[in-house]
Amino acid sequence: MNNNIFKLRNSVSMLTVFILFAVIFLISPMALAATHYFTITAKTLPNGQLGYALGGTEGGSNAEAVIPGPALFVKQGDVVNVTLFNETASEVGFKVPGLKNKNTTRTRPGQVQKYTVLANKAGTYAYHGDGRELLGLFGAFIVDKPNGPVDSYINADGSVVPVTQADVDKQFVLFMVGSTFWGTEIAKDGTQKPLWANPNPAAVENDIVRFHVLSVGPGHTFHLHAHRWLKTGTNEIIDTKLLKEGADSHAFTIKAGTGVGVGDWQYHCHLFAHMEAGMHGSFRVDPAGGNGASVVGASPYGRILLGPKDEPGLVTFEVTDEPASWFRSARGDAIAALTDANGISLDIKTKSLEVISPGSSVNFVMSDTNAVHTISSLLWPTGAHHMPFGQTDAYRGGAIVKLDTPGLYVFTCKVHPYMFGAVIVDDPATEGLDLGNPETNYTVDLVAGIKELPTSSDLAVRLLNTFFITTSPDNWQDYSSGIWNVRFPTLPVRISGAPFGNVADDGNGYKLSLSALNVINAALPAGKVPLTPGVGEVWVNTQFEKTAGKYKPGTTTVVDASNWTVKRKVALPQINNNNPHNMWVNRDQSVIYQTQWFDNKITMINRENGKLIKNIRVGYAPSHVMTLPSTDDLTIVINGENGISMMPAGTTSVTKMLPTQAHGHISAHPHGHWVSADGSRIVTPNINTDDVGIYGATGGIQARTATGQNIPGAHPVAIGMMPDSSKIYATNLLHHSLSVLDGNTGALTKTINLIADYDPINGAFSDKDGNGEIAVGVLPIQVPVSPDGKAVVIAAMGGQIVIVDTATDSIVKMLPCDPGCHGANFGAKQGGGYYAYVTNKFSNRLIVVDPDPNGDGNLNDAKIAGYVSLVESAESAKDDTVSGLPGFGGQGVLAVPNVYNGWVQNLPAHWKEGLTTAQQNPID
Amino acid sequence: MLFQLNQLCCATEFSENSDATQYTPHHTWLRKLPMVWLVLALSFVLIAKSYAGEHIIRLTAEETQDDGFGNKLLAYKMLNHTIDGVDITSRYSPAATIPGPTIVLTEGDTVYLTIENAISGAFTHTPGISKQVSIHVHGVHYDILSDGTLKVINKHDDEGAGNGPEATHTSYEYKWNVAHGTAGTWPYHDHNFESHNGSENKGLFGAIIVKPIGAPHYAKEYVLYLGDDAFWGMEIDGVTQKQSKHGVNPSLGAVKNSDVRFHLIAMGTDIHKFVLDGYQWLDPGTHNLIHQVLIGPLEKHVFTVKAKNSARYMDNNFSNRLMGMVGKFKVQ
Repeated sequence: MNNNIFKLRNSVSMLTVFILFAVIFLISPMALAATHYFTITAKTLPNGQLGYALGGTEGGSNAEAVIPGPALFVKQGDVVNVTLFNETASEVGFKVPGLKNKNTTRTRPGQVQKYTVLANKAGTYAYHGDGRELLGLFGAFIVDKPNGPVDSYINADGSVVPVTQADVDKQFVLFMVGSTFWGTEIAKDGTQKPLWANPNPAAVENDIVRFHVLSVGPGHTFHLHAHRWLKTGTNEIIDTKLLKEGADSHAFTIKAGTGVGVGDWQYHCHLFAHMEAGMHGSFRVDPAGGNGASVVGASPYGRILLGPKDEPGLVTFEVTDEPASWFRSARGDAIAALTDANGISLDIKTKSLEVISPGSSVNFVMSDTNAVHTISSLLWPTGAHHMPFGQTDAYRGGAIVKLDTPGLYVFTCKVHPYMFGAVIVDDPATEGLDLGNPETNYTVDLVAGIKELPTSSDLAVRLLNTFFITTSPDNWQDYSSGIWNVRFPTLPVRISGAPFGNVADDGNGYKLSLSALNVINAALPAGKVPLTPGVGEVWVNTQFEKTAGKYKPGTTTVVDASNWTVKRKVALPQINNNNPHNMWVNRDQSVIYQTQWFDNKITMINRENGKLIKNIRVGYAPSHVMTLPSTDDLTIVINGENGISMMPAGTTSVTKMLPTQAHGHISAHPHGHWVSADGSRIVTPNINTDDVGIYGATGGIQARTATGQNIPGAHPVAIGMMPDSSKIYATNLLHHSLSVLDGNTGALTKTINLIADYDPINGAFSDKDGNGEIAVGVLPIQVPVSPDGKAVVIAAMGGQIVIVDTATDSIVKMLPCDPGCHGANFGAKQGGGYYAYVTNKFSNRLIVVDPDPNGDGNLNDAKIAGYVSLVESAESAKDDTVSGLPGFGGQGVLAVPNVYNGWVQNLPAHWKEGLTTAQQNPID
Repeated sequence: MLFQLNQLCCATEFSENSDATQYTPHHTWLRKLPMVWLVLALSFVLIAKSYAGEHIIRLTAEETQDDGFGNKLLAYKMLNHTIDGVDITSRYSPAATIPGPTIVLTEGDTVYLTIENAISGAFTHTPGISKQVSIHVHGVHYDILSDGTLKVINKHDDEGAGNGPEATHTSYEYKWNVAHGTAGTWPYHDHNFESHNGSENKGLFGAIIVKPIGAPHYAKEYVLYLGDDAFWGMEIDGVTQKQSKHGVNPSLGAVKNSDVRFHLIAMGTDIHKFVLDGYQWLDPGTHNLIHQVLIGPLEKHVFTVKAKNSARYMDNNFSNRLMGMVGKFKVQ
């Protein structure tokens, strides 16, 4: 820089400059600027959520941590020094997005750190914990102008009236997080009072009330009925305001009830899914002379298991992408480790179970997931208030619901229907935890239409079993260990009758310990590999296997079908590959396409070396992927949304989404589709609308057919098609049935009940449908048709494989499967015929089914040909180190070469060489 | 300009007089001008009377938009609208539409709006399910009995037409005080059908436009609701006040160099990024020119442009863009 600029010609100028500086300094707000010193402590609340408390010392703070954290009021130009003590088990920071933060390091557990924030701009800002903030580490940081009005309100006559801090009668901080409001009331004298979750703030008519609405995480719109205010920094009058994703805020002032009078005026988020998820409260305007007292919402200190205070309580589940703990109680580790009075483990194991008193609430926050979800009730005590609970579409956010009726509530995500969270609402007056509604002899209702199911019934016990296995990896079948243990909590529960063991009626119903269901040291032989090799490779999405190099779960296990060994593990740590769910392969079998079901991407993988080619955004919760045999273009069904993403062959971005429903109609949320052999039609099971849709590959809705006999929530989940596309098979997960439809018109021709031979009360299996076979398929999922069109193989999550003969469309066989039986797909058997490869979520082996061992077309001799371990060996190639749940989570499965009719004809010559003539021409 | 544009008697007369020409494709602005001046002049004369109009409105709700497979949406239909006794019902579509009728008001007006319910089963009691439809309006003044919510929310009444959880009404009347300070475009929507959240997501939504006294005139007004997979829109002719082109991603028409106004309201769960290719406009309430806007459910965003050239309006939300949430703005 030129020094001359700064040289002043004479001393007079110097003096002038000096005076100017002095004057500027005196009149500037900086001259009045204060330096603040706040001490705050991050703590863990009784329900496991995290929060900030005002105050703290090295020795610990007695102050109560609150959500939102203490509101910090400063003036523009102030310097704010914050000393943060961290008494939580997580790293916690202090950050105010939008202002200048001088220290961005997070404080380690047990440590203390100082942060400085320059309050250089007026406004309301969110401060937060920089990492775990969605669990409660957030608060309002309010910077007012040093003097003059702080805001203006719109009077009943339309005039805009400025207000100073002294004019404000009360202030409310409302944080929008997940799908829950968290409130604080600030009285005129500055006293702060926590209002907790979904409170009903109140005021007296004509009070001047200032609202500070803030958010962290996914976006919202805030709406308050019958009031209007100025949009900050504009003269626009609004009554609804967007809070953008991330940290955002909006402050406004109203005169309570002006022009509209007294009343209970609803405030809510106006995102429709969030409204359905319970994101609302009431702003009560009392008449003059009323007390204008706010009503506190659900508190983390309230009436929950081990809660310290006698007030309505709140438990919180984090929604995660983590195997088993998809709904993870914020205090899940502590719950799983609970002991009795003698220090003996209660064997709770699951982190997805909570216990509350009637009138307390359960809260969900999608804090650790990259996908969209629903929070939907699966079962609840008969007649329970606020049930069923759910949302029309999947979304990002959370949910909150008050539970008044005692009994067991199980929640799931409709998109990912094995995500489970359970809450027992226990009447403290009865001994043992109530599993059903005490007023109906402890029965429960199920979402798929079953009412008053006794909790002593076999079906109820199976559901309980499914919950405790699904949510506790300790209860999974690890074939490398050779033994299997299932331990249920040793908690006394109260049910409808005496299902197992000699449980006596104690005069007040039946009470037993769940551990009566335990399986102890059962032998778990791994099983032999098939005698006859398969052709090529079998790719299995071991969706729950954890590796050291990435946070999200999931690998792909490549089995060499010639010797049944694990050839390779593909983890893709460089993209934090998240829950790989389903695959397909391009025409020349060189590229594997793989969906990340708990994310919004598909991944292209080099089949030869397992290396990443490209990670591509396609839409939320992509479930299945297939090519059109006619063009090799990619079809990806977007399970969390309302369409099918199309990606032309040889390209790496989606060009369009084919809608799965007419405009404005409920999102179909398609899951496991199939494509006709000529590539002209895409057939989807629509989990959200309980129908099967047929769509033109270039667009257009050709048919939509309801399945599951119109029960609510039948949940069609997967499609199989005849090799000539003449028939469609669809499994209905929660209706436990197989629908058969005309492949061209979509007309329903038959519904096969897969639990006809099951007695849900006593659990007996018998040939009740009189077809000569005892066969049951509980919770059926994948349903491929063999490439020669003879057999349908159904993998049923209840632990069965059911085989249906396409000639008669009747069940011919049931074979045993492992817990969480899920995926199925066909590959070529060496020398002719086909294997069905069946995967299991909660075991770590692949089951190889031979539907027609002697190749005579009669499926009566269908059998399990063998088992293949999905655990890596020393010889397996890999791109990351397996760190947990080895070989678990089997879901999508794909045999290479792809031998389905329509695709097999397009194989390169060297792939065809490994196939018999019949396999190359499966329906000739 | 201090005159009232929407003078009722004259607008109605004009509408009748112009029936023969209003759908002529190459109808020019110049040919309309004498009529416009006639309307304006008459409005000016009657200004005092028009300051505080009394609107009597009857709306109903019915099922519509069968997707061909038996799935239906819901929609509002205008039955009758008079202002100070003058019937202006012919401005509206005779059919139920999505969005519902756009109700144009002026600061100072009073509205008595009655909702009816023509949805099948509306008066059949179903335990735990509300069959009521309501009108919950934003922006204007009303007391708690005109909130258009269920009793579980407002603590007074199930404020709609049909069988509610606690009360059944064959019809329900709301009173709105279109007070000073409420000028702007605001949504109205159902809050009662099936649950206390209502069924705005099934098509039960519309807009009110509250004009300040002496508001400027626009050749065309477009109401565009941004849904989760499409725009639901309509066009209002500035002269005849006729509402047309209802439905999904409508092609909006404008005469070159005319001033037109867009009324955007979002609805559903998505947050949208709206653009009108090649155009800039003033961010409402500011002097800032913008070329795109983030808009969340039930927010409104109103802006004016001079129609210069044809363009596309669209939502740049990732999935909605791929789903084809786009429409034409045709300038001729």
